[in-house]
Amino acid sequence: MTKQVLVFAEQVAGEIQPIALELLGAGRLLADKLGGILSCVVLGQGIGQLAPALIAGGADVVHIADHPELATYRTLPFRRVLIDLLTSFEEAPHIVLLGSTTTGRDLAPRIAAYFDTGLTADCTELDIGSYEHTNKMDPSKLGLYENCLYAIRPSFGESLKARILGPWKNPQMATVRPGVMVPSVADFTRTGQVQAVPVHLQPADLCLVVQETLRAVAHHVELTKAEVIVSGGFGLGSPEGFTLIRELASCFEHSAVGSSRKAVDAGWIPHAHQVGQTGRTVRPRLYLACGISGAIQHRVGMDKSDLIIAINKDSNAPIFKFAHHGIVGDLYQVIPEMIRQLQAPHPQEAVYAVRENQRR
Amino acid sequence: MKSFVLIKQVPDQSAKAGVNADGTIDRAKAKRMLNPFDRYALQAALHTKRTYGGTVTAITMGPPPALEILYEAIAHGVDRAILLSDRRLAASDTLATAFALFNTVRFAGAFDLIFCGLQTTDGDTAQVGPQLAERLRVPQITYCEWFEVQDGLIRARRVVEGGTQTVTCPLPAVVTVANSSERLAYKTLRGAQRVQHLQRDEQLRREVISTVTLDDIGADPERCGLKGSPTIVAATEKVGEIGGNCVFYQGKPVEMLVQDLTRNIALREWTKR
Repeated sequence: MTKQVLVFAEQVAGEIQPIALELLGAGRLLADKLGGILSCVVLGQGIGQLAPALIAGGADVVHIADHPELATYRTLPFRRVLIDLLTSFEEAPHIVLLGSTTTGRDLAPRIAAYFDTGLTADCTELDIGSYEHTNKMDPSKLGLYENCLYAIRPSFGESLKARILGPWKNPQMATVRPGVMVPSVADFTRTGQVQAVPVHLQPADLCLVVQETLRAVAHHVELTKAEVIVSGGFGLGSPEGFTLIRELASCFEHSAVGSSRKAVDAGWIPHAHQVGQTGRTVRPRLYLACGISGAIQHRVGMDKSDLIIAINKDSNAPIFKFAHHGIVGDLYQVIPEMIRQLQAPHPQEAVYAVRENQRR
Repeated sequence: MKSFVLIKQVPDQSAKAGVNADGTIDRAKAKRMLNPFDRYALQAALHTKRTYGGTVTAITMGPPPALEILYEAIAHGVDRAILLSDRRLAASDTLATAFALFNTVRFAGAFDLIFCGLQTTDGDTAQVGPQLAERLRVPQITYCEWFEVQDGLIRARRVVEGGTQTVTCPLPAVVTVANSSERLAYKTLRGAQRVQHLQRDEQLRREVISTVTLDDIGADPERCGLKGSPTIVAATEKVGEIGGNCVFYQGKPVEMLVQDLTRNIALREWTKR
């Protein structure tokens, strides 16, 4: 049988979400390595017109579930349709991928639990490889496995990537962090099949009612759109430190305030500002990390930034391993000085050059 | 209202002690703490008790030292607690964990709401709550940051990409609590005194905190621990160090450090004019 990689393609209000194209890009590579096909499933109402873009994005087959009750994402109806689709295949898909969005993280665990299969959360890399299981503690799994999904995710705080495998059962499932996979380039000469998915919902599937969805600007921190992000971490020492961070951010055009998880966990700033594995993935032109140690969870959210400047007291902080420029010093002295120089009416560079010349 | 809250003891990652040379956590040596995300779940569960009456039961799975976080929960006002502790649970992935917790919940009895933290700081998967809900065949509300209960319905506000969503859903349900929700208040004086009593009186402790094994809750050991886990960590590797070419600015007065930086990078290009 041909191996199938199935991608859950998210759409909101008829718009394909970036994560769907990123998953298609990643899924295409996996399907090609397996010599298999890439299919995707999209759920919603009045979404038939999305099929060409999904095929252009790399899908060989697009499964469309179109139904009024699927207009807005809800766990149970979406769960029902996906379970029905997955059980309708003659052979279970080899790999199923969802995004680590609020939707994917809500839905994927339920599907995996239903099929008693493995699910790796929040992957940053995917690959295909072989694996030999030699752990005699679990004799039922001994043996060599080919064509395993290598689901790779950051783990254990500082510096490790873990390769998680579950080749014992199909589908092998993973959720993928938005913003880390390269979306495929749309190719509208590609051809593919479009198949309608029958929707059979039961009354119990409809028990949860969405009353209102607010994608309010006030609530939304434009982290993913900002060109400059000034982020504060636990090194600020107190919530008041964010006053300084905001002041520095306000010096820049198209800027936003970010933060590390520890500062969010400490309650210094709302979660919407969090950059990193459990926050947002960002790719600004300039990222200023202030008092952020640079734990792997934070790093995976921002290390694709064009230019990273770190300010930290500890010259051994991991952030300096991947920052392009690093000021070693007390941020409570450095940032006010930075603000002063950025706001000064004349460029300080010139003054500095004069002083240098005088010294010579 | 009968509420359960699922909590976990995790290694304190901010403490350097207990981290092996290869970066993995030496759980025996690491300082332990209540999973920070569970503090929001605990607060939500205690909120139901204060607002609507009823009881709160804290449930945890872990080695015997996990008793510490159950005491902490009781000090905050939790009524009773269950510790699921069994060597056969070692190396459980999220599926096996959810299966064991599902059996513990059934052992604990009927419930209206089960609160879970959004995720743990050691696993970071956010999967156990929804997987438990699937096993229990009940609806779930994930990323919940506010809720009220009325006429057997929970009305909740949950965080979604770029905004929030308000939903209603009948009880019983599983709720995973966002870290943008209400923060855990102080321990209560009564709770703290109760913990002191429990620590002194073993008889009383057994009445309030049940320590159970897989046999006690009737969970199939083949579906728990390493054997029940479809995923394994096959390999770990150190994250490659990108660049390592950081240009350092140090050892000068701050004014000059910043001037050096702005000489190398045209920071002003991005500033408002």
